[in-house]
Amino acid sequence: MILTSYPILGVFAQYLTQTSRLASWFLFGLLIFGFSLPAQGQTTGTAPSPDSLWTIELPIMVVTATRSEIALRDVPVPTKVLLAEQIKKRGVLRLSDLLAEEPGMLQVHYFGSGIQLQGFDAEYTLILIDGQPVIGRNGGTLDLDRFAVSDIESVEIVQGPSSSLYGSEALAGVINLRTREANLPWAASTGYRVQTNGTRNATLSAERAGKRLGIRLNYDRFASNGYDLSPDVIGLTGPGFVTHTLSTRISQKWSPTLSSSLSARFASQNQSNVIGFDQSGVELSFDERLNQDDFSFSPELTWKPMGAHRVTIRSHITGFDTRTILVDQEGTSSIQFSQGYQKMEAQHDLILASGLIMNTGAGVIHEQVTADRISGGTRSNSTTYAFTQQQWFLHPTLQLNSSARLDYHTDYGTRFTPKAAVMYKAANSLRLRASVGSGFKAPSFQQLYMDFTNAVAGYSVVGAADVTSALNDLESLGQIQTFLSDPSSFSAILPESSWAFNVSTDFDVTSRLHAHISLFRNNVQDLIETLPVAAKPNGQQVFTYVNLSRIFTQGLTTEIRIKPLAQVSLSLGYQYLDAKDRTVLADIADGRVYGRKGGRDFRLTRSDYGGLFNRSRHSGSLQVAWNSKDDRSSVRLRGSFRSRYGYGDQNGNLILDADTEYVAGFSTWNATFNHDFGTRLTLQTGVNNMWGYTNPQFVPSLSGRQFFVGLQFSTH
Amino acid sequence: MFKKTFTYLLIVGLSISLSACDSSTSAIDNEPVIAERVLEIPADPYTGVDGDGRPLSAGVFTYYCLTENKIVPSSEANTTNWDIAFKGTSIIVNGGTSGPGQGAAQVADGLFAEVSSAPESGWLQDSAEGFAVPAGSGQGWYNYDPATHAITPIPGRVLLIRTADGRFAKMSMVNYYKGLPEVPSFDSESRFITFDFVFQPDGSRSFN
Repeated sequence: MILTSYPILGVFAQYLTQTSRLASWFLFGLLIFGFSLPAQGQTTGTAPSPDSLWTIELPIMVVTATRSEIALRDVPVPTKVLLAEQIKKRGVLRLSDLLAEEPGMLQVHYFGSGIQLQGFDAEYTLILIDGQPVIGRNGGTLDLDRFAVSDIESVEIVQGPSSSLYGSEALAGVINLRTREANLPWAASTGYRVQTNGTRNATLSAERAGKRLGIRLNYDRFASNGYDLSPDVIGLTGPGFVTHTLSTRISQKWSPTLSSSLSARFASQNQSNVIGFDQSGVELSFDERLNQDDFSFSPELTWKPMGAHRVTIRSHITGFDTRTILVDQEGTSSIQFSQGYQKMEAQHDLILASGLIMNTGAGVIHEQVTADRISGGTRSNSTTYAFTQQQWFLHPTLQLNSSARLDYHTDYGTRFTPKAAVMYKAANSLRLRASVGSGFKAPSFQQLYMDFTNAVAGYSVVGAADVTSALNDLESLGQIQTFLSDPSSFSAILPESSWAFNVSTDFDVTSRLHAHISLFRNNVQDLIETLPVAAKPNGQQVFTYVNLSRIFTQGLTTEIRIKPLAQVSLSLGYQYLDAKDRTVLADIADGRVYGRKGGRDFRLTRSDYGGLFNRSRHSGSLQVAWNSKDDRSSVRLRGSFRSRYGYGDQNGNLILDADTEYVAGFSTWNATFNHDFGTRLTLQTGVNNMWGYTNPQFVPSLSGRQFFVGLQFSTH
Repeated sequence: MFKKTFTYLLIVGLSISLSACDSSTSAIDNEPVIAERVLEIPADPYTGVDGDGRPLSAGVFTYYCLTENKIVPSSEANTTNWDIAFKGTSIIVNGGTSGPGQGAAQVADGLFAEVSSAPESGWLQDSAEGFAVPAGSGQGWYNYDPATHAITPIPGRVLLIRTADGRFAKMSMVNYYKGLPEVPSFDSESRFITFDFVFQPDGSRSFN
């Protein structure tokens, strides 16, 4: 019964043979061959023990948390999975909308739609497609509206830092989009959907899976006329756009031990709007056009000799290019930003008979940026890294995971990030998980290399990598009146880093009631902020980026899933969040922070301080699903709620304290109805934001009520 | 008129300021120390926009005499008849490169009411290196929000002023807009300064 005791080994063996599609008895054979473990004639799906994975018809497998395949129930780090079927039935189109319906994940808008995870801004979550990083952040946000969900097999969300495996950006968590692989001999599908505001989505996909070669192609076109919540302001609140995404996944099995795959993606977005304002009766307006392209190309080669080894070599080549064109009465001007990223990586996985899986890898990343506001026009840097992970299956009820990664970066030096996690199965129905780990986020291109002077206002911003030479240059040009800080005192900029603690429990109270509770605490230091370093003769300042503040985020996330009736399931989520700046708390304790009310200043107390901007103390979600008995019709109702949150300082102390600094809390509700006509044709209709909540000033990203209807045709 | 004055705390009584910024007039002993609020001093307000849509203004300071609590005509800029002057967010004091007086200033953190005396040291005069009340967001008396372009006085920041004739006052900036909006809107008219001040007429450093 060793296999039952270590179901994960069997699962891992499945991973090792993932592309070979051999019969499941081979998995046992492999294990017997590799480890001489007695298998006692079990076959897939019929093992007697209710605890064994083999009794579960289709265990949900995840890959993100451990960089290797493992059953969701056994993963030691809190992981959430959204599967294609539920994604499809909800009728959401873009990744941002999908994630925003999940508890503990709040949609935030800052140069695009991002997700706030564990109280972190969007820039602290790593976004992967098939395990490879996506680039093209603007103001720190990777716009999740860029990603269609039509070709997604699953989305995995790992909460808490994973920098020990993935390096920079994986501070709040990792979101991994796993695209679909070809697995039918021949199949094709197409869909079309229309929606309020002239929004329409067309999808087309085809796949061919042979014995050795599998190809899948997918195309998605998403377009909208935009919407206007403030007709008195020139231009649309949400501009119109057209987005094309073309992706493919090809896999080839060369021999029983050698296989390869290729993922490629190309996306292009065009957006246009009119921007303008009325100043003392003079109307100034200009056309703004945004062209944005991104591509990625990711070949992978896997070699697994018989036995316990597996070697994977991956390459990831990706680029992001955006150009903003402004056309006004005087002519055309444009702002350009291009980014390139190339990675080469090797990973070795080894199963040891003692109940230990080891994953070891190393790689090199080379990055370039070309932009108008970058010092020198084009800059590049590189990172060399190595990581290791040990998955210890100590006892049928106890699993340990330790991992660590070493990064060497040409601009900020060496970074070591460790992590340890443990999972304890207190009972069949009760799992406890705990982890402690470190995370980091490298300084962005902007923070390192910016070189920008605002022509109208006259201030300048210089990146941290060049601050000393830039200040010398400005001084020799007579552009420095006084130094506010001594330039020789600047130390090299460091990555922002954190220590995180996560504890969670999953409890199957009954077969129809599941409860999940998790607690998290993140201590973050060296947050990078702008600091004025010199005054210019024009009275303006020169700014640079420095490691300044320390914050923490802590909270509780809970989710309860109930199946009160055979056809109905219900999910209730809630998050309590507390996120504060520790420097501000220390200043408040010293009595050095002031507020103003009715034109009078007063000393702030701890209870006056509302914490970081943009954080709702309470947020929650509700999902109700109904499926008809014949499974042909279904309804999905989803609501999400967030309590009030700060949007910006209004009383001059730069922190959140006054009531005028909050956006009122709100909720949005979406409903979708699906009906299958036979096996090939599906009708989907519904309404998003059904009560039509809008807030043009503070939530311009939320258009009003939107109806939609779509048809999907599939050959299978 | 832009200037309205009212007495709002401390001693209720008649405020008779016979002393002048002109140092030839001597201070009257035992005059009560009064906190005054000066409302909506025009600090070079905008007059329109140029062809590129950039705002236009006359580019002149508005001079103020703290000892007499009144605006002084700009024709008296080269006299000691004023103590402090405003243009946009810039503040100058009558001394150094800005005027013939003994004027100086310093910026302190604390509650206006709790600043009980003017310090012995730390006084700065306007110079080629910069003004005694430093320019720039977060440096002197205000914070600037680049997203909304709002100018907000920093709460808990007190300006200590040495007047043209060498006496002392403390100031608290209250608002930068007409109508004293708590949160300025896009339509709020900027460059109208409201401030509170306490002037000690007896020449001592005490503000009590």
